[in-house]
Amino acid sequence: MSHSASGPAPATDVNKPDRRGRSARPRASDRARSEARLGILLAAPAFIVMLAVTLYPIVQAFIDSLSRIRLTAPDANEFVGFGNYAVVLSDPVFWSAMWVTLFIMVVTVAVELVIGFALALVMHRAIKSLRGILRTAILVPYGIITVVSAFAWFYAFDISSGYVNSWFDWVPGVSEDLNWFASQGTSLFVIMASEIWKTTPFISLLLLAGLAQVPGELEEAAKVDGATSWQVFKRVIVPNMKAAIMVAVLFRALDAFRIFDNVFVMTNGANGTTVLSLLAYRTSIGRLEIGLGSAVSVLLFLSVVLICFVAIKLFKVDLSSARGGN
Amino acid sequence: MRRNRMVAATLGAALAVTVAGCAPDEGPPTLNWYINSDNGGQAQIAAECTEAADGAYTIETVLLPRDAAAQREQLARRLAAEDRSIDLMSLDPPFIPELSEPGFLAPVPEDVAEDVSQNVVQGSLDSATWNDELVAIPFWANTQLLWYRESVVEEAGLDMSQPVTWDQLIEVATDQDRYLAVQGIKGESLTVWINALITSAGGQIIENPGASAEDTELGLETDAGREAARIMGQIGREGLGGPGLPTADESASLQLFQGDDASFMVNWPFVWTSTQQAVEDGLIDQSVLDDFGWALYPAVTEGTDSAPPVGGINLGIGAFSDHTDLAFEAAQCIVTPEHQAFYMVNDGNPASNTEAYEDPEVQATFPMYELIRDSLEQAVPRPQTPLYNEISTGLQETWHPVSSVDPDTTPEAATELITAVLRGERLL
Amino acid sequence: MALTGRQKLWWVLITVLVLVYALFPVLSILATSFKLPGDLSSGRFLPTTWTWENYAQILAPDGSARDLFLPALRNSIGISLIATLIAVVLATVAAYAIARLDFPGKRLVLTTALGVSIFPVISIVTPLFNIWRSIGLYDTWAGLIIPYLSLTLPISMWTLAAFFRQIPWELEQAAQVDGATPMQAFRKAIVPLAAPGVFTTALIAFFIAWNDFVYGISLTSTSAARPVPAALAFFTGESYFEDPTGAISAAAVVVTVPVIVLVLLFQRQIVAGLTQGAVKG
Repeated sequence: MSHSASGPAPATDVNKPDRRGRSARPRASDRARSEARLGILLAAPAFIVMLAVTLYPIVQAFIDSLSRIRLTAPDANEFVGFGNYAVVLSDPVFWSAMWVTLFIMVVTVAVELVIGFALALVMHRAIKSLRGILRTAILVPYGIITVVSAFAWFYAFDISSGYVNSWFDWVPGVSEDLNWFASQGTSLFVIMASEIWKTTPFISLLLLAGLAQVPGELEEAAKVDGATSWQVFKRVIVPNMKAAIMVAVLFRALDAFRIFDNVFVMTNGANGTTVLSLLAYRTSIGRLEIGLGSAVSVLLFLSVVLICFVAIKLFKVDLSSARGGN
Repeated sequence: MRRNRMVAATLGAALAVTVAGCAPDEGPPTLNWYINSDNGGQAQIAAECTEAADGAYTIETVLLPRDAAAQREQLARRLAAEDRSIDLMSLDPPFIPELSEPGFLAPVPEDVAEDVSQNVVQGSLDSATWNDELVAIPFWANTQLLWYRESVVEEAGLDMSQPVTWDQLIEVATDQDRYLAVQGIKGESLTVWINALITSAGGQIIENPGASAEDTELGLETDAGREAARIMGQIGREGLGGPGLPTADESASLQLFQGDDASFMVNWPFVWTSTQQAVEDGLIDQSVLDDFGWALYPAVTEGTDSAPPVGGINLGIGAFSDHTDLAFEAAQCIVTPEHQAFYMVNDGNPASNTEAYEDPEVQATFPMYELIRDSLEQAVPRPQTPLYNEISTGLQETWHPVSSVDPDTTPEAATELITAVLRGERLL
Repeated sequence: MALTGRQKLWWVLITVLVLVYALFPVLSILATSFKLPGDLSSGRFLPTTWTWENYAQILAPDGSARDLFLPALRNSIGISLIATLIAVVLATVAAYAIARLDFPGKRLVLTTALGVSIFPVISIVTPLFNIWRSIGLYDTWAGLIIPYLSLTLPISMWTLAAFFRQIPWELEQAAQVDGATPMQAFRKAIVPLAAPGVFTTALIAFFIAWNDFVYGISLTSTSAARPVPAALAFFTGESYFEDPTGAISAAAVVVTVPVIVLVLLFQRQIVAGLTQGAVKG
């Protein structure tokens, strides 16, 4: 860092550094060139490390996915081209995992958006004396280990070690004899509850940042005009933080699509709760079918890329603007 | 850990055992023994064998995951990478052929094989054998018994000195509106149950165990397979297994059996020591324990012997180990009847060597020791095949939940799925 | 803002609701961790008799899971800290360049960071396993620290880049004009401004590394490197077949304590880091 401190910084852009405006300037000067060299030098280590730990393995996974490889039958390896993909894509197990994953993604993100908004509003508006305690409480699920959250929810609902059944036996459908982890709907309910509980704080913090961007005058003006709180929320707050909402939704959606820990701990995929990550894990690590497993992994990766692409192109989520500056 | 301290004393005598061997000059080599989790017994035995080796080697234990399938994952992945640091392994029997077939297990020398087969129960020997050769060293051998509540049996007038059938159990449980505790969780325990039912009915899951993946023929669509499906489906559909059945493992079954509405249970002998402990802790009334009775695993057909499940652990020696000879010596030390007796008392895991059952401590801890031994002699292992994982997972996929099992469709669906999986045409 | 009594009541009510939401699962596993094995089926929230036995199992010198848990705790702390440290150092340097210098490929670096942060971890554990096996990184600290960078580095870069953009860099020049050397100017003017951002980033990165499960179960095999979330799968009950509910709960509580302490101490910084780094600029 000491090096960089001596680096000259044009006074014009100290407050609004970087971004597009700059590239318009003439870049042939020596100073610009040495600045570029320094920039590349400084950014390179992080860049290389990021690529090394992801790009290389995913390429390897792709190569593996073209062969039939079973670890415990080392002599039987053979090249099958896209055969593994044909098997995976024509298998109902894969598609059921895909739908379950998408279902979890849609439901958790939708619920988290609602609860997250509520929590963000609470944090935003809270009176000073309560702000600290509220933020602390909301950060607890954020910091907790997902596996721990999974066990906490599992033990609470489990028919042999839980208490939820005896607490909620007045709810229709719930009784002492309800085995939450015996059918798809109820298993997914608990899995999603744990997922939502653990990750809502993250979404609510992203929304809190968005709330801070809503100009207070507008709200006041709307209130003066006699708008109800709901109208203010709908007409003023939401439109003004669309970018923040979109980014929050996209990030959480991609995260939810990769759900693994909660399912692994609670059901390990029983009762139609197998998600894509778990299928990839079970195939390549559980069954040691490296070829098939790698095919599932690559498809999972492509799905994530596709979701990201659709979000950016179709819903015009502008990550760089939302992330980069005001 | 509180339960079984007493035994430590017995061990002093047990130490003077076999292993000799000359110590190499550069200090004793360390043998890594990959163990499944237990109550500390294996670590204790490792320490004793290290001492008995007198400098020839040092055994260090390394813990494997709790789940049998996860243990296999760890070992198979590392053996496939020709890991030299794996010397000894505590192996769950069904996975032995898979590791033996590609040559991951060092061949057992003939003299060792002869030595460690002495007085070993048949079920355990079978489970350590692949292609007619002993490929692992029998250590301890588990078997399921039929546990019953004396009060229930009395009321029903059932004569437990004679073999009983599943249908009789179902009838009594239905009449008295009580639970019949079995393991219905989607896991290895379910395969154990399926296999026990099919083999008790005189069938077998794989008709030609040595065949390649493509040519494997399953014995599910047979009278035995359908009979097994009928019994399971009935227990599931009529709610006899309790509401927890779809997630019931051995522990949950025991909990159900300890409750007020229990009639019968099939489970491993750990239930005895575990319940004793709960009584000591004041969580269960002594009268519950007094009500426990035990018998041989239930039969499917009257007049035909049942085929009780066999489990346990056999010791495999890593083929890539630098010290296979020492590892075999160590294995011989580990499985002495004295150590097996200690292990049975300390960890509640039954011995595979019949001599261990002569130990007074064993007899005091497990009043049903004779029954355990007999059950082990009669036991039939799960299918011996390098494809075990696919078969077992495929069965769990189609026979779970138990309430959905139907003799007309389930065996067929399972056969279809497993066959396709073995051909590499389906995922699991 | 003056509050009426009714408003105050509302706020107290809301706070209680939020507290219940946020803390209930934690209290739930806390209660479970004090139950005896035979007490688990009571169907009640609180233990019938309270016991320390589960904690003794993972912490006491003769505890059966102690040799499993304590090394795992050491690994988790050590590996997460080192992965955090490396990520923060690399990210600080890179983020400085992004915020302050003009160079080609800036967008590429940021896009890559974004791409890596959405990467499905499960896709690469198998190839990583094979590579690690062949170069001797399997089951070592380094074998986890390196993949952890794929989790901690992207978010650190984004967060720090956002922080650095807000720093009034003219202070640095002002100090230099006042006669300070570049080093002094940097130390006195910039470090105090940048330090909170770096610290916050470290906290967030630490939480992420601490949370990992997939790498932990796939790339370790002994207590030489196994982290806590993975170790929970190795717990066992009093005997082979008994469920390790109590021991897992106790271990879960122990690893949650540092999280709660950090959150209590630094809630303001974490909130600032997540909100500024993520959406605002």
